[in-house]
Amino acid sequence: MAVAISRAGLSPVFPSPPASPDIAEVQTEEAAVRPPVGARLHVTPLVSEGDLVAQGAAVACLRHAPDICFTAPIAGRIARMSLLPGKKLSEVVIFREANGGVERHATDRADMAGGLRALLQGAGVWPWLRRRPFGGMPAQDETPAAIVVMASDTRPLAPAPQSAVEGRDEDFARGLHALTRLTEGVVIVCGPVAPDLDHDRIRIVPRGGRHPQGSAGICIHQLCPATLDNPVWDIHAEDVAAIGALVETGQLPMTRLVHLAGAALREGRMVRTHPGADLRQLTQRIALPGPHVLMSGSPLDGHVAQWLAPRHRQVTVLPRGEAGPRPHWLIAALTRSVSGRPVIPSAALTQAFGGALPAVPFLRALGAGDEETATRLGLLSLLEEDVALADYVLAEGGTLMAQLRALLDRIRTEAAA
Amino acid sequence: MTRGLWTRETVALLLLAAYLPLMLFWLWFGGAGALAQLGLALLVVAVWHLVFMLVRAQPPSLAAISTALAIAMLAPEGLGAFRMVLGISFGVVMGELVFGGWGRNVVHPATVTLSFLGFGFPGFGWPGFDDPVAWAAIPAALIGVATGVMPLALFAGAGVVAIAAVLAGVLPDPVIFAGGIALVLLVADPVTSPATQLGRVTGGALYAALVVMFAMQWTGAAPVQIAVAAALLTSLVAPLLDEAALALWVAQRRRRHGRT
Repeated sequence: MAVAISRAGLSPVFPSPPASPDIAEVQTEEAAVRPPVGARLHVTPLVSEGDLVAQGAAVACLRHAPDICFTAPIAGRIARMSLLPGKKLSEVVIFREANGGVERHATDRADMAGGLRALLQGAGVWPWLRRRPFGGMPAQDETPAAIVVMASDTRPLAPAPQSAVEGRDEDFARGLHALTRLTEGVVIVCGPVAPDLDHDRIRIVPRGGRHPQGSAGICIHQLCPATLDNPVWDIHAEDVAAIGALVETGQLPMTRLVHLAGAALREGRMVRTHPGADLRQLTQRIALPGPHVLMSGSPLDGHVAQWLAPRHRQVTVLPRGEAGPRPHWLIAALTRSVSGRPVIPSAALTQAFGGALPAVPFLRALGAGDEETATRLGLLSLLEEDVALADYVLAEGGTLMAQLRALLDRIRTEAAA
Repeated sequence: MTRGLWTRETVALLLLAAYLPLMLFWLWFGGAGALAQLGLALLVVAVWHLVFMLVRAQPPSLAAISTALAIAMLAPEGLGAFRMVLGISFGVVMGELVFGGWGRNVVHPATVTLSFLGFGFPGFGWPGFDDPVAWAAIPAALIGVATGVMPLALFAGAGVVAIAAVLAGVLPDPVIFAGGIALVLLVADPVTSPATQLGRVTGGALYAALVVMFAMQWTGAAPVQIAVAAALLTSLVAPLLDEAALALWVAQRRRRHGRT
């Protein structure tokens, strides 16, 4: 299983001012509970507007799986509860209040698989897990074939997971042991450095520093491919340490190390904040004057947002480009085509997948909507963020990610039928 | 939003940069005749790209210049303008543009053109190359590999077979020169060469093996004719090589993980 650290991949450079080494603790005045990126989930609200909630208290649960809760990242008062038609969760906005307290969860059954599962679902950890194929959080009773812990993040401007779990070795080790109770398979820790653990089902796999070697999908594709019958979960190392603390104390630490970066900032910053943090407050004093775009996530796969997404650990602030004049019709005809553009093989494209899969046949299968070939080549282990680098390299502007999502959605529909 | 550089036209431009040494040496030794030949090929290819842009909304590509260069360098001599226009039109339209333009074609349009001209007008002689022009294929390949637009594995596969043949004394110098130039201009094209690593190695080896076989068995064939025939067969086999390489890759993964 051990893989030598390889130099495959790319190191795309995005301009950003250097970050100061100090890590500030920031709780934003407003925070939001949001579903995982791309998910539309039917929920049952457990609180109403104006209620005071403790940090870690459940604010909503899934309608069809009431054990899975969304919890408040900060203590405060519910300011707004926005639901989409069909009671799908849009966002629950909380105004911070210092006297809200911290929710404590019962941990007496955490030693057993069922008890641990209930604890994680009730404490709001479940949305931090992500399953493959198809993405999103796992079903209530799903048992994964393996769990991959990402102690490496090679996305441009991403904070190093080692700094996030520094000094929390015991929590991390406890969290890893807890994860072994959720699966009958292996728990794989992907990262340049990992703790010394003595467990026959915990494996440490070193990864290189170039993107996409620290991309969860590429790791899963290389180490334990996901299939329809063998789902694989992935989780960030910092969240594993949080699970370790939750199991021990009953309180879920909500802090996470976030890097604020991007060309539209005066200075970069590392902050310890919480999921759903208000990006405007985080970047207020360090953004350059002028219009800019706030993105939750990396410059490759992030999205414009007001709140830090549940699994994100990066905030990217980019200058808002002025929309130029429309090009001359002849220039437009020379540079645009009616259909998607063909993929031209090059070394850059191969490295955009870290050499993990045959890039050109895979992208041709994606472009042609050939789900059979794409599945053979590893589609089910991948999500949008894993092809984001190829999309960037080929200057596709999101086409590849959309093609991948369309193909995954079609396979999911067919599998469900 | 920020975007990367590796669009279709970037690759086409880098290919052109790789071909520059070859083109300059060829023009230097070929003089006005070579320039006129290149001009004619370029004009015909450009007209067809323009037609497909206007009629089919297919964006033209700078790869048209590479195609024109390959045709001008390797086409039979003394054909005259009419036959050249006919051959180029067939090759560019049927070999590339009807498939949707550069990037979607199966065979290199220059290979189709040259094969058409060779089969259609067998009475005309094939060109020979001065030594410096043939040597210029080496920097061309180096630039292509260094910029990542030409597959190194393909050159490696071809190189191993070629060296073995040279050591065995079955590959005369003119065939090596023509074979090298066709390898760079036609076979190493990133679109029509195999797309998998193993496919590239076997594709390069197959090309070199075909050149060796034709050189030994095809009596009366000109070196360029041998190289073009080998290039045509290699690009036709490329999808098969890719399929085989993918099947092997999938089988290895299945053995290692129990699933793909």
